[in-house]
Amino acid sequence: MSDLITVQNLTLKFRTDEGLITAVEDVSFRVRKGEVMGLVGESGSGKSVTAKALMHLNAKNAVYTPESKIILHTDEGEVDVLALRKASEMKVVRGGAISMIFQEPMASFAPAISIGKQMIEQLMLHSDMTKAQARTHSIEMLDRVGISDPHKRVDQFAFELSGGMRQRAMIAMALSTQPKLLIADEPTTALDVTIQAQVIDLMKDLVTEFDMGIIFITHDLGVVAQTADYVSVMYLGRLIEKGPVREVIRDPRHPYTQGLIAALPKLDDLESPLTPVPGDIPSPLERPPGCVFNTRCSKIVGDQCMSVLPPDVKVDPVHRVACHIYKEEGQA
Amino acid sequence: MTDQTTTLPDSDQKSKEAYFTASQGQLIWARFKKQRAAMIAAMVLVVLILSGLFAPFLSPYNPTIAGKNDEYTNGAPQIPQFCDDAGCSLRPFVYSVERERSMATNFRWVTKINTEDRKYIQFFVEGWDYKLFGFIPMDTHLFGAPEGFVHIFGTDSTGKDIFSRTLHAIWTSMQVGSIGVFIAFVLALVIGGISGYYGGWIDSVLQMITDAVRTVPAIPLFMAVAAFMPPEISAEARFFYISLILGFIGWPTLARRVRTHLLTERNQEYVLAAQLCGASSGHVIRRHLLPSFTSYIIVDLVISFPYMVLSETALSFIGLGLKDPVNSLGVMLQNVTNADVLLNYQWYFIPVIFFIALVMAFVFVGDGLRDAADPYSDTHK
Amino acid sequence: MSNDMIISARDLSVGFQIGTGIFNKHILKAVDSVSVDIETGSFFGLVGESGSGKTTLGRAFLKAVPITNGTATYDDGEVALDLATLDGPALKDYRKRAQLIFQDPYAALSPRMTVRDIIAEPLEVMGLTNSRAETDDRVREIAAKCRLNLEHLRRFPHAFSGGQRQRISIARALVSGPKFVVADESVAALDVSIQADVLNLLKELQRDLGITFMFISHDLSVVAHTCDHVAVMYLGRLVESAPTRQLFEAPRHPYTKALFSAIPSLDPDDDKSAQKLDGEIPSPTNQPPGCKFHTRCPFAVDRCKIEEPKLEHADGTGHEVACHRWVELMEQHAL
Repeated sequence: MSDLITVQNLTLKFRTDEGLITAVEDVSFRVRKGEVMGLVGESGSGKSVTAKALMHLNAKNAVYTPESKIILHTDEGEVDVLALRKASEMKVVRGGAISMIFQEPMASFAPAISIGKQMIEQLMLHSDMTKAQARTHSIEMLDRVGISDPHKRVDQFAFELSGGMRQRAMIAMALSTQPKLLIADEPTTALDVTIQAQVIDLMKDLVTEFDMGIIFITHDLGVVAQTADYVSVMYLGRLIEKGPVREVIRDPRHPYTQGLIAALPKLDDLESPLTPVPGDIPSPLERPPGCVFNTRCSKIVGDQCMSVLPPDVKVDPVHRVACHIYKEEGQA
Repeated sequence: MTDQTTTLPDSDQKSKEAYFTASQGQLIWARFKKQRAAMIAAMVLVVLILSGLFAPFLSPYNPTIAGKNDEYTNGAPQIPQFCDDAGCSLRPFVYSVERERSMATNFRWVTKINTEDRKYIQFFVEGWDYKLFGFIPMDTHLFGAPEGFVHIFGTDSTGKDIFSRTLHAIWTSMQVGSIGVFIAFVLALVIGGISGYYGGWIDSVLQMITDAVRTVPAIPLFMAVAAFMPPEISAEARFFYISLILGFIGWPTLARRVRTHLLTERNQEYVLAAQLCGASSGHVIRRHLLPSFTSYIIVDLVISFPYMVLSETALSFIGLGLKDPVNSLGVMLQNVTNADVLLNYQWYFIPVIFFIALVMAFVFVGDGLRDAADPYSDTHK
Repeated sequence: MSNDMIISARDLSVGFQIGTGIFNKHILKAVDSVSVDIETGSFFGLVGESGSGKTTLGRAFLKAVPITNGTATYDDGEVALDLATLDGPALKDYRKRAQLIFQDPYAALSPRMTVRDIIAEPLEVMGLTNSRAETDDRVREIAAKCRLNLEHLRRFPHAFSGGQRQRISIARALVSGPKFVVADESVAALDVSIQADVLNLLKELQRDLGITFMFISHDLSVVAHTCDHVAVMYLGRLVESAPTRQLFEAPRHPYTKALFSAIPSLDPDDDKSAQKLDGEIPSPTNQPPGCKFHTRCPFAVDRCKIEEPKLEHADGTGHEVACHRWVELMEQHAL
């Protein structure tokens, strides 16, 4: 089975001073080996929270519903990530089968320890390499991600590297334990655009070389178009559209996806005015009933949009939309 | 594009609107209220402060030598009761006490409790004169036993009522603490403020001075001061000087905190926005910087209070601080170090419980405030 | 050029002293000999990556950082000011005419002030109104233009989303009636769906109020859609400057071309890898000699390593390039 991870009906709320806030509601997807899935959404969409849930990294005040299931398919069998309680069990998941890289590389490297030391520590935790072997492997990985002078860099500190190099070092660290699944949370957002292009190319190469799955979280549809095979679009905690990247971008079905693509300034058409998606994203305290997008949608079809959760409809073999406009196998 | 109309019930809308228009102070208070330990500590603190404030009213006896009870020195606490063998009564009472020198105990006083003789406790009785809050002359006290005496916490070796002394001691310690904290705060604000706002060489020089003052050891300093202080000065003046000195020693820590707050806040973009309007330094400090760290400074103040109180206690305990008739915990504990007291007159330690309660209350309230003072940390994207 | 230029800079340099101590003085040139003209009433775009100096240049025009070399003048038809020596009451006057919109909508608003107070602050500090009623009127007026209603004025910033906060920022910048506004990455922190809205608002305000905007961004696509004229900076130097249409149809500088190709296209099959740049942006404290871009330029020759190219006019249509080889590259159609 080439499935790496299956997420079913993930619903997650946070207990805060203002009440129980729903961050993710009823999200289901799966990622296979060698596949890059782009998880796209804007602020408040719940994409980061979803990613962290995959490694059970959310804060203690996170409440999962009983139907939420995250199944990790390893060679040793299936692991129910949300059922893991002890840190020793989670070790298998975190850094072992799944690795994560973040937007701010400075934040994931300890500032006072050299990069090499951190990579070696991680390797020794997850495998039975000796220190010397771990060091050799780390230098290899640094070289693999395109960092020049890896023998020198391995002993440097995070602040001595530029932004792009730090991000590469983080990718090297994440990949050194040969995870099956890499979760990249906005890895290129903080990078300059010329460096971003390099890092995207790097990640694509690594997927083919290591036969990994990647979940690539971003708000940038352009980046998704260039890196992902599948894309899932989230809005206010719900997954409103998912499918192959070519289909979703060339033929978006959900009004939000359509609005998002239309709002992007495109270089090949400088004259057309910019069309934002009207309205503001509702505060998590004010979640609309029915379809979560109904406060901003221009294609409301009727009362059901305001009161009934739209069903997940298959508009094409692997393209699904959650919208009342569509009926199963039908057209808008 | 306008606000989307929400279809929420009115009460929800009102509470949300309240959240949107809540100022920082209101937000902090709302968060503070949710912490049970802090709220309980706050109530304890209020009770203690009020009992200190109204100490003369609540004390049946004058805490100074003037109120001593010659007939009941080193007397055990008298617990008021409502019922005894002779029946119950609505008014609480204690038994009268007689003493005589007994041969059996080497001519020490032996007290005999006369269970036949009830002394009733009355409320709102006339007693010794005092000035409430320092200027309202009164002589009514909450309770007393006009026909006999009632010492709830017992008495010390000269016959002074420990209960009255405890209440007054709380008040004295609070006053010394307040003055000390106030002086430290003013100095910290000025020095730390200038340091943090201007930076550069001014900052370096002031930091050196701050560090130098901080390294001054407190005990030798006090011993030196005690040596220089003329013994004739009145207890009140002594009290004032001690507070002053505590304040002068306590400012470095606060100053450093003020400086750190300012250094971070001064680089915030909204400060630059104000400066780009041509706002003067004064305006920036007043309208932007000071409010930004008021909550943190209040936390710092509340937490440094117990340190002042404890410092004063320690000083008075070793005799370098306050002296009779000014009363504080330290003064009260001056006499507890002999075996006689430890073995026989354990009630001398009752005030310690009150002080533990006072210090812990400050600490819990300070912690609670600190936790509540960051309402903006989780509203960022 | 017969058009009025609201801002004119010649060989403008902004240097910062880094390194402490008496002997370790090291000057970091954030902006290095930039000459640029901003036409009155235009929407001028300034593009660059990290270390390009674009933010510093914007702040230099606002006198938020001191100008170490060169000249810059401000001329809005009413007054003409020399920005390099501006001080005292003239500086105070300038503050009314030139304002800044920040990037971070969360850090730019004081969390302890109501929206009304935030917007009113410039009026109160600069003494532009005579009574509270007048202040309130002006606040309401500009807030309405920025699509903030009365309810919003009573609230605190924590009640608002990123896009709304940015509109509050804009309202604050515009309440004093400035003629020149620098928008420093003002939409970078916003979601795409909101970004378009704020950009449209800026264009609308420009038409209504006749303001000249200097729009600083790293996002070329955004700049392409909103600006009339675009200038590209790299490591403190201006490398290319042209009317938007021209820049995008025919970029001349290798860096500009690389910037375009680096933008991830929405078309998954669009392969521009042939034009992508290798290497890192050099650190501003350790700038390469000669042309600053030569370390990454696929067309660098020996001359580029020694001699800094000057900004030359191409076409005569206001298109300027700073590259030794731009003519031959254009003729070669190397890209």
